[in-house]
Amino acid sequence: MKLLEITSVSKKFGSLVAVDDASMFIEQNEIVGLIGPNGSGKSTLLHTICGRTFATEGSILLEGADITNKTPQNRAKAGMAIKFQLARIYLEKTVRENLLISLQAKESIWRQLRSASLKAFEVKILELAKEFQLEEYLNEPAKSLSHGQQQWLEIAMAMAVDPILLLLDEPTAGMSPKERADTALLIKKASKKCGVLIVEHDLDFIKELCNRISVLHHGNIVATGTPIEIENDPKVKEVYLTRV
Amino acid sequence: MSGNDYLTQIITRILIYGILVLSVEMCWGQTGIFTFGQAALFGLGGYLVGLVTTHSTITDMGKLLLIAVIIGALVGFIIGIFLFSGKRVGELYVALVTLAISYICERLANSWTVLGSGNGIPGIPYPTIFGKEIGSAMALFFLAFAVFAVALILCIIIVNSQFGLTMNAVRDDEERAEFFGYKRSVVQIVVFVFSAALASSGGALFAVSEGFVSPSMSGLALSTTTVLWVVLGGRGTFFGPLIALTVLQVVNIEMQNALPSLWPILVGLMLLLTMIFLPKGLTSLPAKIRESRRKAAHV
Repeated sequence: MKLLEITSVSKKFGSLVAVDDASMFIEQNEIVGLIGPNGSGKSTLLHTICGRTFATEGSILLEGADITNKTPQNRAKAGMAIKFQLARIYLEKTVRENLLISLQAKESIWRQLRSASLKAFEVKILELAKEFQLEEYLNEPAKSLSHGQQQWLEIAMAMAVDPILLLLDEPTAGMSPKERADTALLIKKASKKCGVLIVEHDLDFIKELCNRISVLHHGNIVATGTPIEIENDPKVKEVYLTRV
Repeated sequence: MSGNDYLTQIITRILIYGILVLSVEMCWGQTGIFTFGQAALFGLGGYLVGLVTTHSTITDMGKLLLIAVIIGALVGFIIGIFLFSGKRVGELYVALVTLAISYICERLANSWTVLGSGNGIPGIPYPTIFGKEIGSAMALFFLAFAVFAVALILCIIIVNSQFGLTMNAVRDDEERAEFFGYKRSVVQIVVFVFSAALASSGGALFAVSEGFVSPSMSGLALSTTTVLWVVLGGRGTFFGPLIALTVLQVVNIEMQNALPSLWPILVGLMLLLTMIFLPKGLTSLPAKIRESRRKAAHV
């Protein structure tokens, strides 16, 4: 069974077709990249996968279960986690509180009112902070972190709940080369625990990291293959690579 | 009434309005539910006590508070389901709907004869505790103080629990919270129900303390004034709005006599300036001064 299976998904906004008959899949522990020029429909496809918007046609299955019309919280419950393009963390809260917000999302209100899981989560918070190089900032407000650290914090928040599928929207946008290399290691490590879908502009970054890449153009998936196959695909060269 | 009794009555009123402020702070300050309808729930509690005490022999404060809390929570639940159970709605939508609820309640109270129409319900008897009448201004103050203290402690406990963090997560980015798996609507409904119970219990206290209820206690003016206290004091804290309420109540009495026509304009101006220059309220002023001093030292 595929981890994620997208079949003939279309998304229309009135007469505008943003995604047209897109099909792709992700296997367990696989890193799949989704690339395409600006306006190709990458973000729209990602939003239909995560539940920010709903597909007009087609189906999305997560571990065989149909999630096409599920709400974001139900998709999160099913094991999906996302890191947005612009880090959406809680800037006024400390790094510890940010991680706790993610960890306690599925706790009952009664348990939250009793702060019943605070101690158990503290262990997990320390583990995550160590893994994502945020240990010394645990009690600092997230707004004091650098851009790269904010991105890591959001990935850490996504990984905190042990997802089965991690969606990453341009995880290295605005990062230094060193931060990008560190992020690649973090993503590789994450893929040992879950499948990963990366939407990215940076082809060099994605081709070293991904098992497979899908190329989107005008809402259509025009090619899917290994990074080498994609680099040598004449259609991809024509519609995408020459524009990068 | 002696001067001391008058002062005690003012402090009692501040404590009762303090419960109303806590209910707005829990909704708006902590969870981002911009409610303009808390006075309607405050009035509900007041009118419930007015009706019960004038149509039955029940005067026991415990029972009266229980009735106000249960009915207030129930009404809060119904409004909460209507407001939050569907798709996400904006702050403005919530503000407008709750504003409309407040307006409707004031109109109903003004026109329904069973509620005393424009005269309200006068002659509400003093409450009793264990059969003993609470008839003095001081006894009513202690009653209000006890209920206020319990409400404040409860609010502080909730806000400092893990659920408080959840409330803030919904306030700061409710869509993001949904992507983490939070049931945003459930969180909002729970908070709204709790704050409705708080507001209603405040109204019940107001009724027994003042001895009457009138349409104005459920209307737009009180709803707006409560939001004003929170804005001035600083959204996101309990003590800021409570200080703003106390200062404005005390100053109000003096200024309404000294500058009857100018005072409302000054209050409006103060609100406007606070919103522009201190969006986090007057309690953020010391931090702002410290920050500008630090910046000046660096230059």
